[in-house]
Amino acid sequence: MLAQATVNGILLGGLYGLATVGFSMVWGVMGVINLAHTSFITLGAYITYVLFSQFGIDPLVAMPVSMLATFVLGYGIQRLILNRIIRTSLLLSLVVTFGIDLILTDATVIAFTSDVRSVNASYASTSVALFGTLVPLVRLLAAGLSLTIGIAFFVFLRRASMGQAILATALDREMSNLMGINPQKVFALTAGAGAALAGAAGTLSSMLFPISPTMGVSFLGAVFVITVLGGIGSVEGCIVAGFLYGLVQAWAAYWLGTNFQEIVAFAMFLGVLVVRPQGLFGRAFFGEHA
Amino acid sequence: MSETAIVQQATKAATVRPLVWIAVGIGVLVLCAAPIGISAYWLRVLTTVLMYVIVTQGLNVIVGITGYHAFGNGVFFGVGAYACGAAMVAGMPFAAGLVLSILVSAACAFILGWPILRLKGHYFAIATVALNLAAIQIIIQIGGITGGAQGLALPLSDWDPKPLYIALYYLMLAGAVASTAVVTILLRCPLGFALRAIRDSERAAAVMGINTTKAKVYAWSISAGLTGFAGGVWAYWITFIEPSSAFDPAIGVKAYIMLIIGGMGSILGPVIGAFVIEIVSTLVWSGFLHAHQLIFGVLIVVVCLVAPQGIIDASAQLVRSIRRGNGAA
Repeated sequence: MLAQATVNGILLGGLYGLATVGFSMVWGVMGVINLAHTSFITLGAYITYVLFSQFGIDPLVAMPVSMLATFVLGYGIQRLILNRIIRTSLLLSLVVTFGIDLILTDATVIAFTSDVRSVNASYASTSVALFGTLVPLVRLLAAGLSLTIGIAFFVFLRRASMGQAILATALDREMSNLMGINPQKVFALTAGAGAALAGAAGTLSSMLFPISPTMGVSFLGAVFVITVLGGIGSVEGCIVAGFLYGLVQAWAAYWLGTNFQEIVAFAMFLGVLVVRPQGLFGRAFFGEHA
Repeated sequence: MSETAIVQQATKAATVRPLVWIAVGIGVLVLCAAPIGISAYWLRVLTTVLMYVIVTQGLNVIVGITGYHAFGNGVFFGVGAYACGAAMVAGMPFAAGLVLSILVSAACAFILGWPILRLKGHYFAIATVALNLAAIQIIIQIGGITGGAQGLALPLSDWDPKPLYIALYYLMLAGAVASTAVVTILLRCPLGFALRAIRDSERAAAVMGINTTKAKVYAWSISAGLTGFAGGVWAYWITFIEPSSAFDPAIGVKAYIMLIIGGMGSILGPVIGAFVIEIVSTLVWSGFLHAHQLIFGVLIVVVCLVAPQGIIDASAQLVRSIRRGNGAA
């Protein structure tokens, strides 16, 4: 039983990590706490659902589509709304993204009603034996793909010139501006990428969880804890903290009971904030000075 | 909002002209007379508005004056509601419950403030959100006199509903006036000067000999006491509280929006913000039942784009630019 709980927790942790990377990057690069982040997860799940139920497209094939759609939306919102806000006040962005979240959530309810939907791929009930435990294939896929996408984004940030521009802006906004990097473009790109990563997480969670307009919000607590645990703006920190979070949640449920899962998560969160606010892997990013 | 803009706004607020105070007096008189002429529905709406005036003024103390963005300040609303509820279930009168609401909330902020107020900026903001969410789970775990996940039913009043609701309305009104008075006094007393010094530069304030941690903890306790009072009255008003409704994070977030729209650190900004947001959201809700959140969201985004320093500042700027236009013509 313990082995089973451990494996399940770690696999779920991979998905949590992916759900957090975009949020953490947006916070690290421009100091915006994007409360609308989780509605991109919901959106990714619904896009997957529509493609699956209307056209019979496999969720894994639908993933690039939902990533592209959420990228465009995240990019557009940043260019049209948030870029104007962050020039005036960073904390105002909390309120604006709360408003955007209301809009996106309500639009989802109007478009799809509040009924719970699900995506059942042909391999949904297949299980794999792993270290003497039985693991659903979709969970393994979700964790594996989350890890792959997370590593791909990590490499993109360090190797591609656009990625380096994002990192440079995160480290020192004024200096990167002097180096000829347009911060407005970098912000929009970061927001788009962050939304696309959330969209990917949405597609993966559509295979694991029931789909409803509030499914994204259920990630919010985990997203906050993992961001702080991993260090704001750190992709590698997010991935590792995601696995750690999943593990701690699973063990809390195993030893103390499911009621204690959230209390343990919040205790962890407050503990990290007080003892090591820069997170396990964090350094001083722009968002932290703000 | 830039630091200088906040300072300018605060200085402006601290020297409000007498005309404004006459207007405020008339406003309070109108609100005193209001229960005579309005329907039960609008009495309910106005009571909610006044409740948010108290919560927003409480937030103003820690966010507007001290510069610590307590995004989850709604936690003290829940603490106040539960303190009052538990006291009344234990057999105490409502008045004692209200006193406990204030004291318990303030004591919570006092104890939690020592570790949490060491955090700065975003970290403090999200720590308070975590506190708010954790409180829901803690109440569920405690059970006992709090009722746990099942919720808590308060003893019903012997009064008839109509006079009871009017009495609660006046209680909220008194709370709104008192909380505005607290902010006014705070802006003029040494603690208020210390807090504004902390907001503008904590290190400089410490160098000037201010015990910054102590001042911040006092400010948060005052903020929590005000918020807790609103929670206590609210608990008796709706008579049934449960963790997810008393600690609803939306309460703190809504107050934060009201504070931004009214203008941070000012005396009357929170009052205006609460009235505008609550009445607009009520009208939107009754007009567009299916899309009210969507429209409310659009309103928030538009207001933040058009008037990021609050509507008082924006209208003052508008007046100034109109005057300048006339002068040039």
